[in-house]
Amino acid sequence: MNTIRIWFTKEGDASYISLLDLQRAMARCLKRSGLPVWYTQGFNPHIYMTFTSPLSLGQESLVESVDVKTEEEAPDFEEWKNRLNPVMPGGIRVTRVAPVVHKGEEVAFARYSVWTDQPGGREAAQAYNQADSLPVEKKTKRAVKTVDLKEILPHVQLETEGEKYSFQMLLPAGKELNTNPALVLESWEQAYGFPARNWNILRTGLYTRTMEEFS
Amino acid sequence: MLDGKLKQALAMVQKPGRYTGGEPGSVYKEKEQVDLRFAFCFPDTYEVGMSFLGEKILYELINAHPNWWMERAFMSWLDMKEQMETLGIPLYTLESKDPLTQFDIVGFTLQYEMSFTNILAMLDLAGIPFYAKDRGEEWPLIIAGGPCVCNGEPVAPFFDVMQLGEGEDQLQSICAQVEQAKKEGISKEELLLRLVKIPGVYIPAFYDVEYQEDGRIQTIRPNRPGVPAVVTKAILKDMNAYKPPVNFVVPLIGAIHDRAQVEVLRGCVRGCRFCQAGFIYRPMRQRDAEGLDRAARDLCANTGYEEVSLTSLSTSDHSQLEELLDRMNTWVEKEHVNIALPSLRVDNFSESLIEKTTRVRKSGLTFAPEAGTQRLRDVINKNVTWEEIERTCTIAFKAGYTSVKLYFMMGLPTETLEDIEGIADTAHKIVDLFYQVKDKPKGKGSVQVTISCACFVPKPHTPFQFCPQDTKEMLEEKQAHLRAAVRSRKVKVNCHFSDISFLEAVVAKGDRRLAPVLVEAYRNGCYFDGWDECFHYDTWLEAFKKWGIDPAFYAYRTIGLEEITPWSHMDYGVTHDFLVREYQKALEGKTTRPCNKACSGCGANQLLGGPCFEYHQDLVH
Repeated sequence: MNTIRIWFTKEGDASYISLLDLQRAMARCLKRSGLPVWYTQGFNPHIYMTFTSPLSLGQESLVESVDVKTEEEAPDFEEWKNRLNPVMPGGIRVTRVAPVVHKGEEVAFARYSVWTDQPGGREAAQAYNQADSLPVEKKTKRAVKTVDLKEILPHVQLETEGEKYSFQMLLPAGKELNTNPALVLESWEQAYGFPARNWNILRTGLYTRTMEEFS
Repeated sequence: MLDGKLKQALAMVQKPGRYTGGEPGSVYKEKEQVDLRFAFCFPDTYEVGMSFLGEKILYELINAHPNWWMERAFMSWLDMKEQMETLGIPLYTLESKDPLTQFDIVGFTLQYEMSFTNILAMLDLAGIPFYAKDRGEEWPLIIAGGPCVCNGEPVAPFFDVMQLGEGEDQLQSICAQVEQAKKEGISKEELLLRLVKIPGVYIPAFYDVEYQEDGRIQTIRPNRPGVPAVVTKAILKDMNAYKPPVNFVVPLIGAIHDRAQVEVLRGCVRGCRFCQAGFIYRPMRQRDAEGLDRAARDLCANTGYEEVSLTSLSTSDHSQLEELLDRMNTWVEKEHVNIALPSLRVDNFSESLIEKTTRVRKSGLTFAPEAGTQRLRDVINKNVTWEEIERTCTIAFKAGYTSVKLYFMMGLPTETLEDIEGIADTAHKIVDLFYQVKDKPKGKGSVQVTISCACFVPKPHTPFQFCPQDTKEMLEEKQAHLRAAVRSRKVKVNCHFSDISFLEAVVAKGDRRLAPVLVEAYRNGCYFDGWDECFHYDTWLEAFKKWGIDPAFYAYRTIGLEEITPWSHMDYGVTHDFLVREYQKALEGKTTRPCNKACSGCGANQLLGGPCFEYHQDLVH
């Protein structure tokens, strides 16, 4: 039995598919592809699937992945990719199919790129970089506690590409500590008045505790 | 693509996946390269619309033409409607995200009277004037199909074209004419005069309706030469000539019926006297088991669905059902597919049928006795006996079922409180039966019987079209009586809301004078009327008052047998004489046999040009 990691993007229309809906949609896409994926052997067999670090609704990503199992001895990864792409929903593109290197729970950090075409966003980000602290209320399973965002994310990095610019954020994305980029943008809305909903959020990378690229 | 405004709106609404498209199976074409663009509008939520088989049939048929493109639009839920109005986003189709005004044809399906105001809401969101008379040459052709066209008179003034009957051939003919008209650059009037020649096409503006002083209709007459006095519905004579769709748009967010569906037959042989579908889809025509099996398999492979439903008005009346299930059982397990059989009837439910469909999952059992006593079941021609219910439940309990849902109607013609008590008795007897059945599977110790009671709404084109609806007071008394008659904690009673049923009756039997009332109600905030939380009864009553219309005239009045009805000029194959005959038999408590056992001469065989069944062979069972 081989475990295989399918890497895909989730952009545009597809960014509005929730994790629960994505699970069902992915199962149907795998079924349509006709690929030899492994089904659980219970009373109600279903395709074995594990998704790595779920993404919030409305956020986009270049680095989503789902693990499936197969009884194929030596799966042809290029063939898998080519058979999956034509059956995927709009906005989901399979970029790579590969053997599993890291376990899903080894994800510790995620990198995001945020940008906006509305005036004022750039100033909000710069104000954040210059601030000494920015306390935010963070909900955990048990209680609401106040944390200083600046300790989690000391600064955001400006990247320009011609006229366009974006800000890069490296945030914890592990089991123990996880910070949603939306929380950062909401705190900016409170502190600097720039509406959080005007930002676009794109996840661009996943990393382990030692900042090795998750793969 | 998603533009900034749309992204902003989507960030603020529940379930944004309703408004984005991109589902597997959705069709994308280059808009510059197509000759005809069609926006198929479902006047309810995405989840409801995506469950609808008719749309899937037409989507596949129209998009099979390389130079035509059909796209989908649904009614936005309250939060999205508000965002679209605030941000100035016109109603758009999910595929191209273009506003409806950019289409050649905007087509609505009329599935349910309570969705009529949603049509207005969708036109409004798209910036399209409501009334056909207010739309010049620059507007898309606004058309409607679906069962409620059989009396679409309350919404007729809004449409350029209405379609009676089955859309497969008819809609393709309409599209071809519109494509031709665009090429020739002819006027809308000229186009409509061409369209009127297509079977089942009804152009409301080509008919004048005159009323008597007491409010009844005096005459309905065509006002152009060459327009038929009566429009006869379009029909597919041979169901096998049209393969069921084998590609579905597979929704990414859960639709109500999120599964593969194969239409095994169309029409119904039963002739239940309250059932509009049972009359307007006549005669019953079925597809062959072999083709159905192939279609089911292709559809599951193309969609990845894990469940396939064999749909129709009465699936167990298919003469080759067991053969079909045997064929399907050769592949479903291997391909991880379950078979679902909705609309089973108690009278031909067998052990082998249960075994063939429920190998994997045991869900609840649903039956529709519709009435609580044999006398009343005979009146409505629902030929189901207690012995059959008993037999079926015994089989089901032995197979491990523990929940039974029973559908009843309240307010049926000739109904008395004794019939209401019969509803409770039926449920009690089923509970008792559960405990009497000895060889149940282990661990199945308790039973739940749910009574679901709808208020009867008399519908056009049925033998009960002449009947008044029970008043609100009568229905409430009956509901209270039913609740008092239920003694067991194993029996749960769900009663529907009677104000909605009243309005449904008014609109179902309404005429063109209701159009301004609908507009008024919509303007004052009525849409999604079928959703309890959105139903504003008082606003409706005010709208009627403002236009000087008494809704009781439509719902509570007995219609004379010779009276001209708003739907008198619409022919669904069943003759007026037959409806009268059935009405009189109902009052005498006499039943009529199913069509496949004996022809009762309803007239619908004229649509096929010969008898509906060969009465000697395997169709009779």
